[in-house]
This record gives sequence, structure tokens and C-alpha cells, in this order.
Amino acid sequence: MSYVTIENISKAFKGQTVLHDLNLSFKQGEFVTLLGPSGCGKSTLLRILAGLTSPEQGVIKIDGCDVTNVKAKDRQIGMVFQSYALFPNMTVSENIAFGLKMQKIPSETIKQKVARMVALVGLAGKENAYPRELSGGQQQRVALARSIVTEPKVLLLDEPLSALDAQIRKNLQKQLRTIQQELNITTVLVTHDQEEAMAVSDRIYILNEGRIAQSGTPHEIYTKPGSEFVARFIGNYNVLEGSELSIATSEREFSNRLYAIRPEAFSAQYMEDSYTFSGRVNKVMMLGNITRYEFSSNGIVVTAEHLHQSDEDVQEGARKTLYLHKKDVIPLS
Amino acid sequence: MNKNRPFFHYLTIGAVLLYLLVPLLGTLIYSFSTQWHKTILPEGLTFHWYGELFSDSLFLKAMGRSLILSVGATILSLLIMVPAIFSIVVYAPRLEKFIQALIVLTYAMPGVIIAVGLIRAYSNSGMPMVVVTVGAYFVGILPYMYQGTRNSLRNIQAVSLMEAAEILGASRFTAFLKVILPNIMPGVLVSSLLSFSILFGEFVLVNLLIGGSFETVQVYLYKKLNVSGHIASAIVICYFILISILSSIIVKVTRSRKETL
Repeated sequence: MSYVTIENISKAFKGQTVLHDLNLSFKQGEFVTLLGPSGCGKSTLLRILAGLTSPEQGVIKIDGCDVTNVKAKDRQIGMVFQSYALFPNMTVSENIAFGLKMQKIPSETIKQKVARMVALVGLAGKENAYPRELSGGQQQRVALARSIVTEPKVLLLDEPLSALDAQIRKNLQKQLRTIQQELNITTVLVTHDQEEAMAVSDRIYILNEGRIAQSGTPHEIYTKPGSEFVARFIGNYNVLEGSELSIATSEREFSNRLYAIRPEAFSAQYMEDSYTFSGRVNKVMMLGNITRYEFSSNGIVVTAEHLHQSDEDVQEGARKTLYLHKKDVIPLS
Repeated sequence: MNKNRPFFHYLTIGAVLLYLLVPLLGTLIYSFSTQWHKTILPEGLTFHWYGELFSDSLFLKAMGRSLILSVGATILSLLIMVPAIFSIVVYAPRLEKFIQALIVLTYAMPGVIIAVGLIRAYSNSGMPMVVVTVGAYFVGILPYMYQGTRNSLRNIQAVSLMEAAEILGASRFTAFLKVILPNIMPGVLVSSLLSFSILFGEFVLVNLLIGGSFETVQVYLYKKLNVSGHIASAIVICYFILISILSSIIVKVTRSRKETL
């Protein structure tokens, strides 16, 4: 049963439609990600869900109640902003306690809840610090604590980790997912980072130009991209025309217009029921645990990836034969 | 070449300082001198003029009136203008161009023209001219209040803060009072002090609109110029000390504001 439903939502700015009749639904306790490039309408959809922007048409339901015309302050939603939006005049404790004070909860209960939250996000000892005295990662954790302490029905995250450096971002992704699962809170994350979406989500909605391009679990999205856009956006997929594949493999069975191939699907080991690519290695890139290289087969260039292993050293200019399982050639619509 | 530069810099700065300080120093010495007409230095020093000034009830009353007018107009502006600028910047930014047009108008109109216009419009309306002056002052300090408040709102990303507070359950009024106001206060304070300093030294409007019937420090000074140069100098020095104190407060508040950002 759906906990949050978004029905026929449309939105236009200055005559330009940014959301086209969208329909989405999230289950209770689910971690959903709205993924898409800049300008695809994902943040607008999140703001509509929060009550910060009004839709032109459509209905938003949370826990069975129509909240389309309910003010943001009464929607029982928590939100973490990209810019953190911490109150500079308040300490960490005061920031976290703000929502509880607005609910007129007794001060003793507020103290207990704030202490629990501070411990949960790992900020013990920083209770009396002001936001300006904290690092970006710490500020983001305060913002998270502030938004979940009120036990909202839905937690909205608007690119919360995009301003942080890679290492901190990865740690916070883990922490975010752990806290979300611990509290079983329905969460909607907006991001343009497909790796982040894959790492934390139960389900991903990919948006393109105000429309849903595809939805599914991270595994479904990654292994079965439904369109050229998704295949190109979601990873380093090789997107080849049927005729190009025919030339590369010297086989004539590719009747579809476009096909997608994951770079890691290529293998140097012979496999049953596979296509053969014979050619030369053009360019090699070391990406830590992965070696990525461009491979030219009958003049058609594809990208392949292998786990970095010393016994499978790939040299530029070397001749090589790669095998690709037939099921890994995905026809695109 | 490089060795000569510091000397050139010091010389330039020294010349500018001399140009600015000599008249002030002259005024200061003149306010303390018994007589200074035919000699290079004063014939003697005295506190007599200050004593006479502060024992003149007219001066103290004029000070009081100047304070009432300037503080009144500044407080009125704080109460009306700050919430108005906040509403426009946060909720209706497209209206900002109208405020900016108003600001240009306040600069474009010379004081004399404003005064004549106000006299023609209000002299027979029954409205006390003191109230008209406060109203004119209110408009006159619009540019300073607008710039200070708007910049503070932008610095703290007021739109995001308001949204965050509202999502946490605060009404717009509560969010403004508890989140926005404490954070823009230093900027608003600086604008208020600046506005106050400008209004305290204002002469054209107050002289033409209310003049003798509501004598302020500037009008008092203008009258004393014809009576005694020593007393006029003492008034200028008192005024300068007051403005210096205000300026140092502005500098202090601005610095502490920079440290907190």
C-alpha cells in the first residue's frame, strides 16, 4: 500500500512546463531517489511535496490524507536543504530543538530528544557549538538531526551531500542509510549523482525533462536501462547502433536500432553463448581498483572495464579478444 | 624605484590627512581660544565657550529636538521599512525594482525642492510640519535602510532559512522573529546608526519646513554663526564627537558581524 502518492502533478514556470503530469508512489519506510540531470524538475517535485511550491494541477497524498493545499508547516515533513539552512544565531542543540519547540513539547522531553539525536548523528560534545564553528559534514549532520527529531512522516533530502568532498560524502551516505533504516522513515532523496542514488536507495525514479524516464530498484535500473537516455545517464554504458554491433562482432543478428552494453560485461575469458570482439586496446585508464580501456574492434570503439589485477595487465596497443555474453547486449527502446 | 614608493605613499596619505584635519583642528582650537584674531596661535585657552553652550537651555533643547526627530524617524523606519523590505526580498523579489526606483528618486530630488513641495502640499492641510518632516526623513533614509537590510537578508540566505523554519512548523511571523531578525540585526543596526547620523546633521529640510518653531542643533548652529564663532566651533566639535562615537559603534558592529559570518 502506498504511503505517499503523487498523482497527475504538473508545474510550469513562466509558461514553460517543467513537470508533465507525473505519477509516483512510495511505500512506508522506503528510501526513494529522484535522479536526473540539472533542470529535469526533480527539485521542483521535491518542493511541491514539501509544500514550498504549488503545483498547477494534481494531488499529493501522505498517509491517506490529501495535503495538496496544506501549508508546509502543517505537513509533518522534514527537509534537509543543499545549503543546510541552519539557523546561524542558534547552537547545535537549539537548531535541533527548534521544531520541537514549535510543537510546544515540554522542555524536559525536548532535552532528552535532542540528546538522543546528537548521539545518533555523532555530534556529542558539539551541542553548544554554532553552525559557523562546524565543518560542512558536521553542519549537514545537524541539518539531518533537526529534520528527523520531529519524527516527520516523510523526510525530504534536496541534494544534501553535493557540497561535500568525496570521502565525507561516502561516509555520510552510509550514515544516512543506516539512520533511515533504524528509524524506518519514508525518505525521498533528490540527486544528480547516480552512484549516490545506487548506494542508498530502495527505489529510483529517473527524471528527464519533467517526465519519468524509468523507475525501479537500483539493480533493475542498472542492469536493464529502458532507454538511451537512462543507459547514458546511469553509468558508463556503451550505446551502439545495431549496425555498429554487427561490424564489431561480424554477426548479423542485431535488428534493433540501439543496444546498451555494460563495460564490465566484457571478459577476456571465453564464455559459452557469447559474441567475440577482436581488436586492439587504444587507451588505458587506471581508476584504482578498476582498469578502464577503449577497445577497437573492426573500427568500432567500445569501453571495457576489468577489476585491476596484476595478472591481467592491459597494455595500450596490445591485440586482444574479448567475449560478451549474449544476454548482456540490451536492446534499447 | 621601489625604495621611493613607501615615501611617496606616506607623503600622499599625510597630505590627505592634513587637508582633512587642518580645518577640524582649527575649529577645535578656536572653540578653546579666548581670542584668535591677529596672532598665529590663540592668545589664550578657555573652556568658557563650552560652559556657555551647555548652560544655554536653548542648546540643550535643540539637542533634544534633533534627537527626537532623528531617533523618531529611524525607529519608524525600523518598524515599517524592515518588515516591508523583508517581505519584498523574500516573497516578491520582482517588486524590488519599484523600491530601487524610489531610491533613485530620493537622490534625484534636491532638498530645497522637496521642502518647497512639502510646504505647498501640507502647509494648509492642518498636519503639523514636525510630522511632515519625520515623514520626509523616513523617505530620505530609505536607501540606507534598504541596502543594509537587503544585503543582510541575502548574506544569511533568508529564503532558505524561512523555508527551513516553516517546514519545522513555525508560522511566518515566528520564523521572522526568531530566525531572521536576530541574524539581520547587526546589518539593520549599522543602517539605523548611519541613518541617524545623516538625519542628525540634516539642515535644509528642517530649516525650511519647521525652522524657528522647532529649533534643532543644525538650526541653532546656523543662528550662532552670526553671534559667536567660538560657540559655533564648540557646537561643531560636540557634533563631531557624537558622530565619531556613532561611527566607532558602526565599525565595531560591522567587524563583529564579519567575524560571525
